[in-house]
Amino acid sequence: MSESGINRRDFLKVLGLGGSSLALTGCGNTDIRSGDELIMPNVHPEDFVVPGLSVFYASTCTQCGSACGVMGRVREGRVLKMEGNPESKISGGKICGLGQAAVQVQYNPDRLTQPMMKVGGSLQPVGWDKAMALLEEKTGPRSGINGEEFAFMTGAMSGHLKVLVQNYLDSLGSKNHFVYEALSPAVSFAANKQVYGVDMPRLHFDKAKLIVSFGSDFLGTGASPVHFAAEYAKFRKAPRGTLIQIEPKMTMTGANADRWIPIIPGTEGVFALGVANQLLKHEEFAQSVPSDIVSLVAKYDPETVSSITGVRSELVGHLAALLWEKSPSLVISGASVEGHTHGVQNAVAIQLLNKILGNVGKTLDGQAQSPFPQIAPNAGSFAALKSVNDGMGGGKFKAIFIYGANPVFTAPSFMGLRDNLRKVPFKVAFVNAVDETAEECDLVLPIYTAVEDFGSHVAWYQPEGVEITMQQPLMEKLYSDTRSMGDIMLDLVKQRRADEYKAWPDFFTYLKTAVINIKPAVKYADTDEHFWYDTLSHGVIQVDAPQQQIGSNFSAAMLDLPVTAEAQDPKFPFYLVPSERHYFRDGRHANCGWLQESPDPLTTIVWDSWAEIHPKTAESMGIKEGDYLEVSSQNGTLKVKAYLFPGIHPDAISIPLGQGHESLGRFAKGVGVNPFKILNPVFEKSTGELAMYGTRVSVKKTGESEIVVKDEGPVSTQMGRKLVVTLPADVAQLSKEI
Amino acid sequence: MSITNLLNNWSFYRNKRPYRGQYDLNRQYSEYKWAMALDLDVCTGCNACTTACYAENNLPVVGKKRFQHGQVMHWIRIERYWDEKMGEFPEKGASFLPMMCQQCEAAPCETVCPVGATSHTNDGLNSQNYHRCIGSRYCSANCPYKVRYFNFWNYPSTAWPAPLPDQLNPDVTVRTKGVMEKCTFCVQRLNEAKSRARTEYRLVRDGEVVPACVQACPTSAITFGNIVDPKSKVAMMWKNQQVDLYKDMQEKDNTVRGYRILEDLRPFPSVMYMERVRDMEA
Repeated sequence: MSESGINRRDFLKVLGLGGSSLALTGCGNTDIRSGDELIMPNVHPEDFVVPGLSVFYASTCTQCGSACGVMGRVREGRVLKMEGNPESKISGGKICGLGQAAVQVQYNPDRLTQPMMKVGGSLQPVGWDKAMALLEEKTGPRSGINGEEFAFMTGAMSGHLKVLVQNYLDSLGSKNHFVYEALSPAVSFAANKQVYGVDMPRLHFDKAKLIVSFGSDFLGTGASPVHFAAEYAKFRKAPRGTLIQIEPKMTMTGANADRWIPIIPGTEGVFALGVANQLLKHEEFAQSVPSDIVSLVAKYDPETVSSITGVRSELVGHLAALLWEKSPSLVISGASVEGHTHGVQNAVAIQLLNKILGNVGKTLDGQAQSPFPQIAPNAGSFAALKSVNDGMGGGKFKAIFIYGANPVFTAPSFMGLRDNLRKVPFKVAFVNAVDETAEECDLVLPIYTAVEDFGSHVAWYQPEGVEITMQQPLMEKLYSDTRSMGDIMLDLVKQRRADEYKAWPDFFTYLKTAVINIKPAVKYADTDEHFWYDTLSHGVIQVDAPQQQIGSNFSAAMLDLPVTAEAQDPKFPFYLVPSERHYFRDGRHANCGWLQESPDPLTTIVWDSWAEIHPKTAESMGIKEGDYLEVSSQNGTLKVKAYLFPGIHPDAISIPLGQGHESLGRFAKGVGVNPFKILNPVFEKSTGELAMYGTRVSVKKTGESEIVVKDEGPVSTQMGRKLVVTLPADVAQLSKEI
Repeated sequence: MSITNLLNNWSFYRNKRPYRGQYDLNRQYSEYKWAMALDLDVCTGCNACTTACYAENNLPVVGKKRFQHGQVMHWIRIERYWDEKMGEFPEKGASFLPMMCQQCEAAPCETVCPVGATSHTNDGLNSQNYHRCIGSRYCSANCPYKVRYFNFWNYPSTAWPAPLPDQLNPDVTVRTKGVMEKCTFCVQRLNEAKSRARTEYRLVRDGEVVPACVQACPTSAITFGNIVDPKSKVAMMWKNQQVDLYKDMQEKDNTVRGYRILEDLRPFPSVMYMERVRDMEA
């Protein structure tokens, strides 16, 4: 002891001090002063952090546009897991796999951690001061840029960030906000607007005895999959509803249907009119539609319908009989119906069934009318991409900002978007990771991920009332050189309107002021501060708003359907179905290992792209699983492995979207192929949207072959084992179940 | 089970099969016996449960090549089957089967472990002791459900490039090369709930704790709970579906949907499935 310079007495003193400091810190984080020395406990917890205990914070999932309320599990200052927020009427406390992957976006090894500037053809790291100075130089007040010369391209937006983007554009005197979503609901909105006078009616699955879905993959993609999954579960409880799915390629929803009917892509409307023809034979329904529609529908007898749609003629009458028997029902349409030149008419023809059957007002009615139009969602469109592309090609823009969209990846190659983008002298991307579009930009700014940032969101499908979902940081920013998109926008607005915005030093204060302004609308009784913290801790603001009134207007002119889907060229005998995978969507989150390794529900394939081909077609062409095929349209060729899939029309080939990245990161780059690229310039007539399902392709064997990596075993049936047992619905007694 | 126990009772373990009455529910499990009920009619095959499991249990992403070699580590997977009598098209849709460790009461994996690394806990879980496991893989060979996953590689050094390790759940061990792993019914959550309940002099309430898969499931297809508590939802569902934990050939009404998979092998699984329903008139 004495040799080391510490005697026993001193040693005990130190021990005692340590012990007492431990005891005291346990009581209340107190520091002890002893003489001049400040002794700090080794573990000095931050506020609300108890080592070893998880804290849950409410926020909003931004992985898709559904705006589910979520809870982040936080421990020791790190967000570990996303879970549903039970207070959110959209998520109902549940969450999908895509939403869970938000943490993999946050901790992604390929995140951009500092601003990048294009120097000599490649992106080089640069400081924020330089980056912001360049922004100021190119787009600031002294740059001389006028509103016409500036474009701001974003993905779907809602909430207060949308307001700020709008304010920035206003300050520039620009109207060029291009809201682009590659898989937007624009055609569906246009059809609904014609018929019901609203973008999207509210659907009541639980009230329907029969749902007939024409290509709507409501369980996997679309408006609000987590919400609709919960609605679907209610629908399947006693008295159990029946689901019929009619589509060219089986979606996840189709896989859960009681009857799945394959149909030639684009002829869904004809099939619906055939069913309408049969229904109108009932006297009760004869008066439900105007006489010009009755005479139009009369042309669609089962044989004609069968010859156009490729569906057996008796199924037309069968479906009509089921709809007659099971009332109220609900008829809905989805992406494979809307992605054609006559997409709107196709969808309207399907909605006609709801009118005939008297479902309007029963199983579908109006959503709540949001009292805050400024923060209402803009779901985006392809038309926006087209106008921005034309503008860039014509040399109209001197500067473009891109946020929440990756047009270089999602634009079909016929648009020549990459070359057009290069014509813009100053291009800025706001991203979490460098994607294909950011590679082309002059300035790439790293922004916070959704779990680091504040925000507010409003979904375009609202199940009940209007739910404003609040986003708050679930942890401190991971990289010191990243910034909040809101903060950047506020700085940009201040370039021209410093006085108006001087009250708000950052996006947090701006958002707080804006959210507190909502207080009167929700009749909150307490103080502003309480309202703000209440809002954050609950994660949602429920606004009681009046319901939109919906009409139901149909005329024969709205139902002008072509006999065949798209112009046929014998060189391209197959219909291309670019299918939307439920965890990939347009491919923006492809760089998450969890999503890559999550098997596709129907094929169980992982880490790849594949071409689904019907076994009968494959046999006639001598194609086996794993054979490399050349799938060619007029605008390009994809080399992709074949997967023999019984759930597809024999005349169709389906390749999933979302893969085929050339950038974005290690988990996405070089995986699979990108079917966006080979789409033909076929557009929906009335909206100008890209007709995603309107491309025809040829298929050729290359002679090469490779194993398909999938979860499925060598056989695809149960081999007589009692693994999944099926009970006929008339035998099951669900009402007696718990 | 230890080796001494195994050797001393060799004839019992070698020859005896579990029999009715061997296990007494009230005697063996006085407080907890965790069980599940899984409704295949509302399972949509969406894989939210599997992703939740990756997040909760630190499952490594193995990559394409290792997936191809069958080295994927998904503790819960969704199997997809087509109907055998399917014609040209799957007109009745697909059959989805979420498959995870069935926490068998007479677990075939437990009896073959040479080192007793896998054994039954006193709340009815089939546990896996990573420290004791020597990687013989006998358990996996003997598992009729094929839900045991072996660490062929040292995943901690490859599967989580920085900063992905920041996401790892500190409550769950990150397994290294050479050990077997499997679904635990999220034992870390169960232990936390049990310990919290104990400090409050009570038992865990029904619904107080659920595994990550149950929590995520958008259609609420999975119900989880303590089957010792007759008032728990899961116990009521098992009773209502006429499935008894200790019966091997259940005799039930044909209108009732409950069944257990590969029940005739007599592993007495703790997961009850409920048959998929299809409207045959549609």
